[in-house]
Amino acid sequence: MFDQNPFARWFGIDETTTQHILTEALSRGADFADLYFQHTKTTSLSLEDGIISRANTNIEQGVGIRAVFGDQVGYAYSENLDIDAMKAAARTAAAIAEGTQTVPPQHVQLQSPGNYYPINRDWDQVDVAERLPLVTQAETIIRQMEPAVEKVSIRWSDSDERILIVTSDGTFATDRRPMATLYSSVTALKDGVRQSNGASVSRREGIHWFSEPNIRQVCQKAVDRTMILFEARRPPAGEMPVVLAAGASGILLHEAIGHGLEADFNRKGTSIYSTMLNTKVAPDFVTIIDDGTQDNDRGALNIDDEGQPTERTTLIENGVLKNYLHDRISAKHYGVSTTGSGRRESFRHVPLPRMRSTYMLDGPHTKDEIIASVDHGIIADTFTNGQVQIGAGDFTFYIKNGWLIEGGKITAPIKDVNIIGNGPDALKNVVMAANDSQLDDGSWTCGKSGQGVPVSMGVPTMLVKSLTVGGLNQ
Amino acid sequence: MEQDLHTQAQQAVSLAKQSGTENAIASVGDENSTEYTYRDGKIEEVKQSTSRGLSLQLYVNGRYSTHQTTDLRPETIAQFTTDAVALTKHLSQDPYRVIPDPALYEDRPTLNLENNDPTVRDLPREVCLDWLKKMDSVTHTDERVVSASGYVWYGWNTSVRVSSNGFSGTRSGTSIGYGVSVTLKEGEHGRPEASRIVRSRHLSDLPSHEQIAQEGLDRVLSRLDSTKAHSVKSTLIVDPEAGGRIFGSIIGALQAQTVQQNRSFLADKNNTQIANPILTLIDDPLQVRGLASRHYDGEGISARQLPMIENGILKNFYVDTYYGRKLGWQPTTGSSSNLTFAKGDKNLAQLITDVSQGFYVTSWLGGNADSTTGDFSFGFRGHQIENGQLTTPVSEMNVTGNFLTLLNSLIAVGNDPNPYTSMQTPTLVFENVEFSGK
Repeated sequence: MFDQNPFARWFGIDETTTQHILTEALSRGADFADLYFQHTKTTSLSLEDGIISRANTNIEQGVGIRAVFGDQVGYAYSENLDIDAMKAAARTAAAIAEGTQTVPPQHVQLQSPGNYYPINRDWDQVDVAERLPLVTQAETIIRQMEPAVEKVSIRWSDSDERILIVTSDGTFATDRRPMATLYSSVTALKDGVRQSNGASVSRREGIHWFSEPNIRQVCQKAVDRTMILFEARRPPAGEMPVVLAAGASGILLHEAIGHGLEADFNRKGTSIYSTMLNTKVAPDFVTIIDDGTQDNDRGALNIDDEGQPTERTTLIENGVLKNYLHDRISAKHYGVSTTGSGRRESFRHVPLPRMRSTYMLDGPHTKDEIIASVDHGIIADTFTNGQVQIGAGDFTFYIKNGWLIEGGKITAPIKDVNIIGNGPDALKNVVMAANDSQLDDGSWTCGKSGQGVPVSMGVPTMLVKSLTVGGLNQ
Repeated sequence: MEQDLHTQAQQAVSLAKQSGTENAIASVGDENSTEYTYRDGKIEEVKQSTSRGLSLQLYVNGRYSTHQTTDLRPETIAQFTTDAVALTKHLSQDPYRVIPDPALYEDRPTLNLENNDPTVRDLPREVCLDWLKKMDSVTHTDERVVSASGYVWYGWNTSVRVSSNGFSGTRSGTSIGYGVSVTLKEGEHGRPEASRIVRSRHLSDLPSHEQIAQEGLDRVLSRLDSTKAHSVKSTLIVDPEAGGRIFGSIIGALQAQTVQQNRSFLADKNNTQIANPILTLIDDPLQVRGLASRHYDGEGISARQLPMIENGILKNFYVDTYYGRKLGWQPTTGSSSNLTFAKGDKNLAQLITDVSQGFYVTSWLGGNADSTTGDFSFGFRGHQIENGQLTTPVSEMNVTGNFLTLLNSLIAVGNDPNPYTSMQTPTLVFENVEFSGK
């Protein structure tokens, strides 16, 4: 199986080599060990002042070696894939264990991964000359759209990632993960005032996806989001109803709920949700999913970074908290199967339970009903940051663009305010959700323990009865 | 080791030249790090790494690109370099892209920055475990603690930079840090948390492990019974550990790229009063034992002290070769180093005493800023101040404003800079700031 495997050939390893390294990692009595081989080539282009005058390529290659003893982890990595270097790293990882018995590594079985991001051509088969027109096209589109635009900056990035995972309990899994991101940023000048904003699209796609309409869409967003700022102001400060527009407002789920349901925090008792499993945490119409199986989505994974199949995990079903997100360590702790949520930034990092694509299913209301129900509040549309304190449950997200709602109608645009709330309180206070759930395909990167991983998110239009809105005191 | 890195960098430059590059810069770096996490009486994670990487900057017939790799086998390096040069030829020519002027490499300081602590390079596992146990026993002295983690990490790095127009330099340094994060049980579900973490280049510059653990525990205990206060326009006191968030945004707006791309609210403010005259801010790469101290910057430009804001007047920008040429400005340095503030005459506790009504911010939560307009809005945690006393802990609140207004509403600077970071903000006091709560 190893011999014919193109990934094993790519990394120059065979089953005997991996068994030797795993044996080293288990040599001090660890009860589990795994190897994570990675090769990623990233190509980036940057356009400013009308020309693409900077490119970057980055090759990251290495192996991460983990030894697990109960819930204790020893970890080391090596960029050098010579057997001696890898064995030395394995010995370092092994030192976590203080066991007396050693288990030998099992013969491996090939995992059948999902196939959630088929593309026509891998990125390493695409010449740079084919990428350049996508970037210049984006600039041209923006310039044609809006004469008030002064500066356009386009950033392109694509990556081709090969992963091979071997575990001491017999998993052998490989994956090839594409990712492509187009980011357009715009500065416009109007009556002596400057405003800037941007928009991005990021998907596990090949070059064929970047058609003129798809590029135009992200450019249109960048221009619209910039030009509206000239009319926007700060809303009044304080608590008020907040309508979350369908799509990127999924950041609320990610921060207010998602992180708190990552099982490592619950295993340690440090999440505000650690005592809430199988309890009612939201109204009946709230069902929240974390999903690694959506086609070409930024959060999709054929396998997770522990070699386990990914899945569509129901976190909250009809308002009841049903599941946490598990990696191997937390799944063992809770006596459940992993949810395929063990993820890591690269071979330099240990896997942790992480979100993939987190979204809420349709609710029973309509967008119009929701807006009409608000007498004095805001609707939040685009976001540039979010954060949560897992234990206190306080979460924030930063609204770049939104509108005031007055007397049941959308009125003046608003900008640049932070929203803060408490996760469990906000969930209880979701009073309406519409039938228009959609995913946002912006380049969201989730940070945890110093590791960034790509994610996506989505919601239908929804109403939270009260959140604290940053703004001005009247 | 250093010679080895130098040879590898020199070879990379030669290889790039052979592949048709006019000018090239190569950096090769080694990093060594060890991290321990200890939780509730036992080791949770040990992570060790030794790492090497190569980075290349290429100037090919008026075109420019950058490249990094961790695959350093000679045969793959050759292909990597050839591919890199070939890729560069597809890009647009750009008259502003030139290798830094070698005159900027001259007069490199030789001052001993004391970046290296030999103790850090030779820390036995038993010593680290002993520290972790000490911190763990302090953080578990309150029965409300549900979980407490202790961290110790240390490492060192060496990097060599060589350019085809005569630059050659080596930087190396050690770093060590430790700290705790503590979570309490409060009521049925509440799990308030806080952390206290310090880092330095020298072990002897850090407070005792017991002290750090006690401060971490005290911080989280001070979070109990936190509430949301009413929205109000009031005085803001920023803890020395929290000031970096504000000045990080201001430093971002002083980058030549931000200015040249018309995204800086400070673009046209050179030599104008942007803050209360009590504010003086110096970029000091030559601070002995500073976390960001260096003899030369990322372009090889020789390091020197740079006044950024002097008595409230904006004096300098961070100007690299490329954006400097675009703007017609002389390069200063492309990136910030240690930021030091002219000290006031009071510390945090004394400054709190002077405030009748306001909020003391200990940490931020989320939020963001717009570098084009200077608008910002941050979530925060802290305490209410009433009649010169800290009272109720507050949470779920935001502070909102514009940096230009904020800088002008600065009314006091403390004498207590945070030494455990390169952005060494002291206590800062601002008046008439917009708070939103209930």
